[in-house]
Amino acid sequence: MDIIELRQVTKRFGTLTAVDELDLNVPAGTIYGFIGPNGSGKTTTIRMIMNILYPDEGNILLFGKKHKGQRLEHVGYLPEERGLYKKMKVYDVLKFHGELKNGKNLKQEIQYWLNKLDLQAWTNKKVEALSKGMGQKLQFIATVIDRPEIIILDEPFSGLDPVNSEILREALLELQKGGASIIFSTHDMNMAENMCDYIFMIHKGKKVLDGTLNDIQDQYGNDTVRIQTEQGAEALEDIKGIEKINDFGQVQEVRLNPNVDSQTILAEVMKKTRILRFEVTRPSLHDIFIRIAAPERKEDNHA
Amino acid sequence: MHKTLIIALREYKAAVKTKSFILGLILMPVLMGGGMAAFMLFKDKVDTDDLKIVVIDHSKLVREALQERARLRNEKEIFDQETGEKVRPAYVLEFIQSDSTDPFKQKLDLSNRVRSGELHAFVEIGPSILHPDTILENTLIRYYSENAFMDEVRYWFTDPVNNHIRQLRLSEMNLSPEETKDLFYWINIESMGLMEVDKKTGNVQDAQKTNELQSFLVPYFMVLLMFMLVLMSAIPLLTAVMEEKMERIAEVILASITPFQFMMGKILGSISVSLTIAAIYIAGAIITLNQIGQGDMLPYHILPWFFVFLILFVIMTGSVMAALGSACNDNKDAQNLQFPAMLPVILPLFLLVPIMQNPTSSLATWLSMFPPFTPTLMLVRLATPVTIPAWQPYVGLAVVIIFTVFSVWMGGRIFRTGILLQGQKPTFANIIRYALWG
Repeated sequence: MDIIELRQVTKRFGTLTAVDELDLNVPAGTIYGFIGPNGSGKTTTIRMIMNILYPDEGNILLFGKKHKGQRLEHVGYLPEERGLYKKMKVYDVLKFHGELKNGKNLKQEIQYWLNKLDLQAWTNKKVEALSKGMGQKLQFIATVIDRPEIIILDEPFSGLDPVNSEILREALLELQKGGASIIFSTHDMNMAENMCDYIFMIHKGKKVLDGTLNDIQDQYGNDTVRIQTEQGAEALEDIKGIEKINDFGQVQEVRLNPNVDSQTILAEVMKKTRILRFEVTRPSLHDIFIRIAAPERKEDNHA
Repeated sequence: MHKTLIIALREYKAAVKTKSFILGLILMPVLMGGGMAAFMLFKDKVDTDDLKIVVIDHSKLVREALQERARLRNEKEIFDQETGEKVRPAYVLEFIQSDSTDPFKQKLDLSNRVRSGELHAFVEIGPSILHPDTILENTLIRYYSENAFMDEVRYWFTDPVNNHIRQLRLSEMNLSPEETKDLFYWINIESMGLMEVDKKTGNVQDAQKTNELQSFLVPYFMVLLMFMLVLMSAIPLLTAVMEEKMERIAEVILASITPFQFMMGKILGSISVSLTIAAIYIAGAIITLNQIGQGDMLPYHILPWFFVFLILFVIMTGSVMAALGSACNDNKDAQNLQFPAMLPVILPLFLLVPIMQNPTSSLATWLSMFPPFTPTLMLVRLATPVTIPAWQPYVGLAVVIIFTVFSVWMGGRIFRTGILLQGQKPTFANIIRYALWG
């Protein structure tokens, strides 16, 4: 069953079409990653799902029903830019949000989540005393305090250090195991690759990718080679058949022109230097993102 | 409704549990009554240095009388009766001849002596004060000083001069002071309320003597209290909403409740705050006035009106303030809007005196039916001892209720759009657009 459905949804701001005839189906119990460049329409889509903005055209169904004009029950939402009452204490602010969402067993839930996200020492401190990362974790707790069935997070990992990102990732996976459906937008492609069952990419208001990572990578075929040589990126210069080089320093990721055999490239490189590693692979999400979002910036183009 | 109450409760706690609220609660009456208290306290603390006044007596009639009166005053009235301490300045009068060759030069010299601080003032008594002639100038007493109008010494001269010339006139008619004692008995007119029938006993109640407290202070303080309550509870919604919008608190909360619930929760919080303060002050006033035996002065019959109008006034103002706050993007926007938005609340304060003087005039009636002014002006009219037509407060109430519903509806539409819209200036056109088209 699809827990969220968007049918031909369009939203305009003046002359700008922020979201253009968007169709999207989010199956229950999955994690759906929203990716896309800044200003592509991710937040607008999320706000429309949340009923904060209304679409100009099309329909949005949650739990199979239209919700226009109503507040959503059992939906947790973490906006991109976050705010909590600074003068309130951590416990009070969670209780306040829990009550607004009709949460059950709030006292236990608050203790549970504060422990889980390593904030228990701050229970009676004011929100203004928290660091940015701690504030973000607190905001996350406020979002999930009532154990919502749908959790929508706008860039939940931005600004978190690796330890806290990991804590948050575990918390999300736990919620998914508990039956929640999760949507989050992110610029962290690794996180999207590792966590999401489905990935959706929006660019200039239009859907450009939608499916599992496998499906998406299949669309782009095995046109990518990861190479590590003694000479580094230099060895790859002036080799015919290479469309683009992504130089990561120690390793280079090479995109081949269509119909070029990777063995030819291997032979060419071998003539120039010793090869430490040569791996024919599918493009990473990062690469796919860049191919879509920045086709005009074809640096190192050797076509 | 449940969620609106949660918001209201949070707003109430956030407002009441702060030090500034408690400080404001104490400071407000201090500031309101402070001017009066300071006046009472410092009334007697005047400069006690002797004041030298030069008198040019063209009439040559009142010198002795003035000197005698000044002597009596300087011997008795300037000292505190209990401590014997000098609490007022002595008046030292110096009589000089008028300079008939160049009177202007003489007065200029005297003026310069006043300016230099050597003299306090000089007085010129006209030649024909005993029998006024057609030339007005000759019958006047002129008092020259730096601030003659406000100078209390000026008033002091009136009495001895007039008493003395009155006696001189009586002597000319060969009448003795005993014979004319009643001639100058001035009868005052006492201000009374109207006779009433006691509703419980059916007895006719004697009319009460009205006084300043009833006819002026009670309505004045009632309105001032209402103004302060709106100032402390509804007006701050403008900046509070603006801050919640800027700090993105609103977006988080709006994921759980509708904008209208959010706005109404905030307004309900404001109502609770204003009722709390009102209850504290009114209870304080009742206890204090009963303690000093002035309990009768309290207009208990208008207290229900006070609370009804207060609640409506807070809803009306609060919804406008919240709507405007939602349209603002920064402090500057809020500051620009604050004053024009407060005008309808402040304006009635300037109309208080004419309305208190004549509560049944058509000006008072019509102004008190103009909804933004009704809560304050109708209350003033109810609080004065004058009886206004019984239907008027009810019509006023109906008008205010209709207007309040309209404000909330309009405010809700503006709030719904403004609270999530970033980067749009709160121009008049934009606000109207939000209200009409959302």
